[in-house]
Amino acid sequence: MNVDRLEQEIHDLLHAETASQTFLLEGLEGRISTQLAGRLPRFGPFGFLRRLLAPTHGARVAQFAVVGATAVLFFVGGAFLADRLPFSQGTSPAGSAPLVSAARSSGENQVLFVMPAPNAKSVAVLGTFNNWEPTPLTENKDGIWTASLTLPPGRYEYAFVVDGRWWGQDPLADEYVHSFGEYSSVRYVGKAGDGV
Amino acid sequence: MYRVLDEVSLLRASLNGEVEAWGEMVCRYKQAVFGLCLGFLRNRADAEDITHDAFIRAYENLRRYRLERKFSTWLFTIAANLCRNRLRYRRYHPVFEPPDAAEGGVDPAAAVAREDRQLRVKKALDRLPPGYRMPLVLRYYNDLSYRDIAETLSLPEGTIKTRIHRGKLILKEEMERDGVIHHERG
Repeated sequence: MNVDRLEQEIHDLLHAETASQTFLLEGLEGRISTQLAGRLPRFGPFGFLRRLLAPTHGARVAQFAVVGATAVLFFVGGAFLADRLPFSQGTSPAGSAPLVSAARSSGENQVLFVMPAPNAKSVAVLGTFNNWEPTPLTENKDGIWTASLTLPPGRYEYAFVVDGRWWGQDPLADEYVHSFGEYSSVRYVGKAGDGV
Repeated sequence: MYRVLDEVSLLRASLNGEVEAWGEMVCRYKQAVFGLCLGFLRNRADAEDITHDAFIRAYENLRRYRLERKFSTWLFTIAANLCRNRLRYRRYHPVFEPPDAAEGGVDPAAAVAREDRQLRVKKALDRLPPGYRMPLVLRYYNDLSYRDIAETLSLPEGTIKTRIHRGKLILKEEMERDGVIHHERG
């Protein structure tokens, strides 16, 4: 085959293909101009500021401002309340079990595990202190399940099992760990940081 | 008013935020960019998308354009990069296009009447790997020099020459093979 002829054929084909589709390009300049006109100027000395304060961006800036102000209030308020609430001392208030607290020291090494689960049939706690063998909790009349364990000082990973389902994120745990696709809670008893 | 302005004036006006001036630039280059995209992608819906995106992207990056560079080459580079991204995406998200649509929506009678040779060129071009097809399109559709093709595709000029030569050989082999099959069937 003649190479010149092949080149001519490629040329003709590509032009014919494009020519047959030019109807798709009708009004493209208008569509693009309209799209760009709907935007704010990208150029100029105050372009950035104008874009930032534009109605669409303005709403976003306002959202950030609200979230930021809420965060500041949360931290300031938290710091203010921290020294005034009784259960911030690290022990349960005398005579009343906390509703959502799971593991709190009630005595030097007496650790109370609490799980509110009014409709549950069985609740157990398992962790590094019992080689991940379930220790059953007992239910009171309000549907609060509790177990008090005597533990030496140390760091304990644990979780609850409620009706056979893993419940690894105790709201008041000192921290959480994520391993093998599950969360577990961590509680420090006595001297913080001691391993078990 | 914009129709009589030269390219540099249009670009200056576009930089000043006059979107109608950019619209005139779109009008002048849309066919070239669309042809490039259609040649690269071999799919008209994708080519239409990328043509639109290329002009928007070019406008957004207009401040980076340097006058010493040919505007068309700069614009083609943007379009070529967008096409590459689309081809990469299509590798994992293929689309089926009905044959009629792929042939440009012409009526069946016209498709039948089309020369057998041209159909064979088309099929061979469709099958050609993009690395060979892109330089061929820029050469035989956009009429770019080897140097401009090299700049557009960010490849050495020698590589472009090799690919165009090799691309034509592959096309020729494909067409001959296709021709043999047709002959045997006939």
